[in-house]
Amino acid sequence: MNFKERGDIIVVLSAILLILRSVESIRFDLETGHTKCIAEDIKLNSMTVGKYQVVNYNEGLPLPDSHKITIRVTSSYGNNYHYAENVAWGHFAFQAADAGDYMACFFAADTKPSSFMTVDFEWKSGVAAKDWSNIAKKGSVTAMELELQRMYDTVQAIHDEIYYLREREKEMQQLNISTNSKMAWLSFLSLLVSLSVTGLQLRHLKSFFQKKKLI
Amino acid sequence: METTGGNPRCGGAAYALLGLLLLTTLTHISALSVTVNDVECIYEYVLYEGDTVSGNFVVVDHDIFWSSDHPGIDFTVTSPAGNIVHTLKGTSGDKFEFKAPRSGMYKFCFHNPYSTPETVSFYIHVGHIPTEHDLAKDEHLDPINVKLAELKEALESVTAEQKYLKARDSRHRHTNESTRRRVIFYTVGEYLLLALVSGLQVVYIRRLFSKSVAYNRV
Repeated sequence: MNFKERGDIIVVLSAILLILRSVESIRFDLETGHTKCIAEDIKLNSMTVGKYQVVNYNEGLPLPDSHKITIRVTSSYGNNYHYAENVAWGHFAFQAADAGDYMACFFAADTKPSSFMTVDFEWKSGVAAKDWSNIAKKGSVTAMELELQRMYDTVQAIHDEIYYLREREKEMQQLNISTNSKMAWLSFLSLLVSLSVTGLQLRHLKSFFQKKKLI
Repeated sequence: METTGGNPRCGGAAYALLGLLLLTTLTHISALSVTVNDVECIYEYVLYEGDTVSGNFVVVDHDIFWSSDHPGIDFTVTSPAGNIVHTLKGTSGDKFEFKAPRSGMYKFCFHNPYSTPETVSFYIHVGHIPTEHDLAKDEHLDPINVKLAELKEALESVTAEQKYLKARDSRHRHTNESTRRRVIFYTVGEYLLLALVSGLQVVYIRRLFSKSVAYNRV
C-alpha cells in the first residue's frame, strides 16, 4: 500500500468520524408517572431522524426494570408516526408527510415511590438528518469537499427558510388587514345596532302608551 | 485536502487532518418546544473549555383569551461545578451567549413563576473553533480548517437567528389571532348585551304602567 492510498483511507475515516461526532443530544429528567413532550417544527417532505435512550449512570450494570419509557411521535394533525412501549432505547426515522409541529411524548410508568430517570434524546431533521457517512463511503470525496457540501446544503436550507418566513409575514399582514377592516365594520355596526335598538324601544313604548290611552 | 503519493510527510498531514476534523465538531440541537409548568431543565454537554454556547428562546403563550400578556419566565444556566453562569428574569424571549468556563454537562433551566402553562421554543448551540491547544505537540494547525470552522460557526449563527425569528413570528401570529378572536367575541357580546338591556328596560317600564302595580299613581 503506498502513501496515497493510506492517506485517502485516513481522510475518508476522519470524515466519517467527523460526521459521527457532529451529533449531540439533549438530556432531560423524566419523573415516573409523568409525561414530557418535545415538539419540533419539521418542513414538509424532509427527512427526520430521532434516537432516544434512558441514561444508565451505572456503567456495566443493567438498567433497572422500572427505567422504561413509552414514546409516541405524532404530527399536528394527529397522525401517529412512531410508537414504542416500555423500552429503554430506540430510534425512529420518517419522512414528514404533514407540515407543522411534530410532538414526541415520553411517558414513564408510575412507580411507588416516584423516581427520576434521565432520557437522552436526539432529534435531527432536514440538513442535519442527511446521512453523510453514506455519501462519504460512496465516492472518494475528500473531507473538505464533504464539509463544503454540507455548508452548501445549510445555505440552501437557510434560503428556503427565508422564503417561508416571508410567506408567513405576508399571511400575518393579510390577517392584520382583515382584523383592521373587521373592527371598522363592527364599530359601524355597533352604532347601527344601538340606534336601531333605541328606535325599536321608542316605537314599542309609544304603541304601548297609546294602547294604555296615556298619550 | 489532496494527499499526494511519494512524500513521506503526507502521512503525517493526513493524521493532522484527522485530528483536526475530530475537533471541528459542532454540536447543536434544533429548535424544540417544551411546555413549562413549573421548572423544566435541559442538559447539554460542552466538550471543550472556552467553547461559545449561544442560543435563544421564545415563550409562545398558551391560550390567552381573557388575561393580558404573560409576564414572562426565568432562564438560568448552571455550569457543571454548580454555579450559575447566565440568568435572565421575567422575559418572554431572548438570545444568550456565553463562553463556557469549563467542559462538562451544563443545565439550562426555564422557571415559570405563574400557574399558567407556557410553551418555550428554544435553540442551544455549542460551537468550537480549533486552536493550537487542541492539537498534540507535533501537529500543525491548518489555517484552512480554522477558517472552515469559523465559516460553519457563522452559518450556524444565521440559522440560530432564523429560528429565533421564526419563533417570534409564531408568537406574534398567536397574539394577532387571539386579538382577532377577542375583538369579534367582545363586539358580538356587546350587541347582545345592549339588546338584552334595552329589552329589560322595556319590560321594566311596562311593569311600571301595568294594572297590578300602581295604575292610579301615574
